Amino acid sequence: MDTGEQESNGAPMLQARGVEVEIAGTPILHGADLRVERGELVAVVGPNGAGKSTLVRAVSGLQRLAAGAALWSGRSVEEMRGRELARARAFVPQRMPVPAGVTVREAVTIGRSSHLRPLRRLSDADRGGIEEAMERARVTRFAERSLRTLSGGELQRVQIAIGLAQEAPVLIADEPTSQLDLGATIAIASLLRDLVSDGLTVILVVHDLALAAAVADTAVIVSRGRTIAAGRPTDVLNSERLAETWGADARLTEHGGRTALHVAWTGLTDRGGDEAS
Amino acid sequence: MARRTLVFAGLSAALALAVVTSLAFGAVAVPLGETIEILLGNGGGGPHQQIVETLRLPRTVEAMVVGAALGIAGAILQGALANPLASPDVIGVTGGAGFGAILIIILFPGSIALLPVGALAFGLLAAALVFSIAWSGANRGSTGKVILAGIAILSLFTAATTGLLAAYPERAPSAIFFIAGGLTSSGWDEMATIWPYFAAGFLCAALLIRPLDRLALGDDVSASLGSRPHLIRLGAAVAAALLAAASAAIAGLLGFLGLVVPHVVRMAGGTSSHTFVVPASAIGGAALLAAGGTLARTLRAPIEMPVGPFMVVLGVPLFLWLLRKVV
Repeated sequence: MDTGEQESNGAPMLQARGVEVEIAGTPILHGADLRVERGELVAVVGPNGAGKSTLVRAVSGLQRLAAGAALWSGRSVEEMRGRELARARAFVPQRMPVPAGVTVREAVTIGRSSHLRPLRRLSDADRGGIEEAMERARVTRFAERSLRTLSGGELQRVQIAIGLAQEAPVLIADEPTSQLDLGATIAIASLLRDLVSDGLTVILVVHDLALAAAVADTAVIVSRGRTIAAGRPTDVLNSERLAETWGADARLTEHGGRTALHVAWTGLTDRGGDEAS
Repeated sequence: MARRTLVFAGLSAALALAVVTSLAFGAVAVPLGETIEILLGNGGGGPHQQIVETLRLPRTVEAMVVGAALGIAGAILQGALANPLASPDVIGVTGGAGFGAILIIILFPGSIALLPVGALAFGLLAAALVFSIAWSGANRGSTGKVILAGIAILSLFTAATTGLLAAYPERAPSAIFFIAGGLTSSGWDEMATIWPYFAAGFLCAALLIRPLDRLALGDDVSASLGSRPHLIRLGAAVAAALLAAASAAIAGLLGFLGLVVPHVVRMAGGTSSHTFVVPASAIGGAALLAAGGTLARTLRAPIEMPVGPFMVVLGVPLFLWLLRKVV
């Protein structure tokens, strides 16, 4: 896990500035910044279609930048290829396709394949890495089961295990909880928090603002293709911003490790709804 | 895991059986024991040894190589395009190779030795056309684009082939053997020309096994692991084109094998992992074509019939049985 240590002196884990992305000629991002320090959990939040996923895909090298730069420990993502890229960051998609007959262990082994030279077999170190990734993501118990037999929450943890097997210092998860029930969401949240306690850096795209406030050290707000604020979740997700950005009459509270979002669901109270529409 | 080992053992046994019978049976039957002795180098130099070594061995090797090549071509294309209907037909190779061969048969009947070259060249040309259309512009390399471009080019070459046959109906009969797919007794000559294409295709396929397993978890996971999904798909398509065009040059149009064999091994093994499906498809394809070749040669001996229909007769019942039982 010493990836990039030698050139990281002073440089943040990720520094992205002025990121612009066009998809099929349509500008999606026009000026997004994202700074992530070693060992923190950053939540990227924002309304639907604001460009959250596009931002994390762009900094991960999954989406071409039209302008701007994304530097991992000082090195541009656009210059990185293959194994170097795989060891800089792991990207966990919202939902991966699930091939027939492939077991959890085999899928996590595929996650390890970025460490292997072509046609080489797994070394003992690789096998150890696979076991450790499964332990940390808490999927060892059902390691021999076929992916198609898993629940949504179990599958999401397997996806995280695949990312961990890459042994990159940063894990980027794109809305891992958006299709999960409350219990499975809690399992993912505590898992991600534990990974951060163990030294991993996590970037989390998430819709649930109460969840973001509970798990994140920093929240970055994306709105209409730009990043408009970054800071402590309860500071940046204040009532004014919830009204401006989400058009919601809402208030975020935190007390003793519990967070809550108090929302005027039917928009009957005086603020928010009208000015946003 | 045990189930996969069992499938490998079964396929290997089937292949061994198919190879020995292919060497022993034909217009002249050589006893099985003597066939094995000849293979081990203890033949004693009689006429049987000559039949086995100069006629049946090259043909059996051809059947194995072509069967393995088509099995692998189908397996990596179905994996790369994430589409169960993918086969060498879909990337235009079969249509192009058919046109190239018929062109030689009809326009240059005196230079029939050029047939494998024509089939190979036009098979690769058709694939190159498909790739240049599918890997340019928006959504380059997307599954839908590859398949649609492939079907369009296939139609084009099929139409041209039909046109040629219609224009020269008196020469059409000699084309039937090629279209139906047939193994000939021409010794090692064809293999001597075509083997580098097989070798390149097999090597690419081996290198693609791991990238294809990544791709099976989606483009995003694949990209997270540092691969470029559209390049994996291109690599798989090129390898499949090499294997299928080289196969067509030697044994005519046997596209069915590439479609069905990977499905059979996937259903039998209960997994779509390429570490299993690619090598198992190679063994399965080799066994099926070697067995089909023996049938085609012996059923109406000494008349040789095209192998394609026999392979279909062997393969389809097995395929349908698995389809009913497993899916």
